[in-house]
Amino acid sequence: MDTPETPAVLAALACNLDADILSAALPLLEAGQVDALEWSFDALYWASEVPAWFTELLHAYSSEQRLLGHGVYFSLLSGRWTSEQQQWLCQLRELAQRYSFAHVTEHFGAFTGQNFHAGAPLSVPYSPVALRIGQDRLARLAEAARCPVGLENLAFAYSLDEVKRQGDFLSALLAPVNGFLILDLHNLYCQLHNFSIDYEELLGCYELDRVREIHISGGSWENSQLLPTRRIRRDTHDEAVPTEVFELLARTLPRCPNLKYVVLEQLGTSLKTEASQVQFRRDFAQMAALVQQHNHAPRSVPSAFLPRWPALPALAVQDDLLHEQQRQLSHILETATSLPEAQQRLRASVLAHSAWQIEHWEPYMLETALSIAQKWK
Amino acid sequence: MKLSKALLSAILVGVTVQATTSCGKKGDPKPKELAGQANQGEKKEPYNCPACGLG
Repeated sequence: MDTPETPAVLAALACNLDADILSAALPLLEAGQVDALEWSFDALYWASEVPAWFTELLHAYSSEQRLLGHGVYFSLLSGRWTSEQQQWLCQLRELAQRYSFAHVTEHFGAFTGQNFHAGAPLSVPYSPVALRIGQDRLARLAEAARCPVGLENLAFAYSLDEVKRQGDFLSALLAPVNGFLILDLHNLYCQLHNFSIDYEELLGCYELDRVREIHISGGSWENSQLLPTRRIRRDTHDEAVPTEVFELLARTLPRCPNLKYVVLEQLGTSLKTEASQVQFRRDFAQMAALVQQHNHAPRSVPSAFLPRWPALPALAVQDDLLHEQQRQLSHILETATSLPEAQQRLRASVLAHSAWQIEHWEPYMLETALSIAQKWK
Repeated sequence: MKLSKALLSAILVGVTVQATTSCGKKGDPKPKELAGQANQGEKKEPYNCPACGLG
């Protein structure tokens, strides 16, 4: 039974100002089936007009403490602190006064694109420098949001070793602010396939007590030109949720004692047909049924992940070398015309023989990084 | 979570208006029109999140 002391896990939708998502979601909203709403608030930082009805929708969930803020463009781990990041925090501070977010989250990684606030986020070395930067940024985020804060695991990795170490690094980033983890199961599904790792071994890499939110979504397959027999799983959010991801959800739900939200994500661009919208609602119903089934099991009071606000230095932590490495990597990823060219340019860059360990990157994942960076540049 | 009928109706109207903007008046607020996007050609819609890292 859901009581104020023991709140149940809530079935939520990622819902932004997008006619196709909202059309697909409307029957679910009408039926009162959407327990919480996740909103990528920074996607509207540049909006000239936000319709009153969308604001009212956000306020409806906010007033019930069921609005989840999910940032996209902060670029947590870029080496240099930028005026865009400062502005991002100012806007978040203002939004947090207007809406009562249940929590605010961001993504692990740093963007490849211009000024590191466009493009696609890719990973960084799990180095002491990156840790200091990430902890500093998360503390600033928590101070602006004034609510629990969390980070989502990244689907992309260059090597199996990186996959196995991401969980520990996320925990180290989150610990000073008592932050929580969004465990994106499709991201794990990508890694299970792309690195042929076992589910138990992969899940064992994460501190599951920190999981407050789970994401599920669909994705797509991309052929590798390098390895014609190999397909790369990509987290493109443009298809229905695969059966395997629902199986991962069923297996993972009971292992996350502090879980509070399960969120379905799909891009509006893939919800333009009636058939795709019907499938989206089927996916939500299947997800909600698993959540409901899970809620019948007894559970202890989950952690509220009340934020801590560590003392912040006046100046944000930066690192010129990391910035230069990221700048060179982004340029190579966005402009190399082939995998061999990218490999050659990386070997001649400041990333060679560094904490990035480019010498151990899987060529088929570098090929994928080229694809991603050139798609979003 | 239950939403008011008035809000649900407003969302329906909002989504419908957006879907049929071809007959809308110039200057009507359109949710997908974002400041600064006019010269960005085929720039991706910003809420189409690339953020999970394999998008």
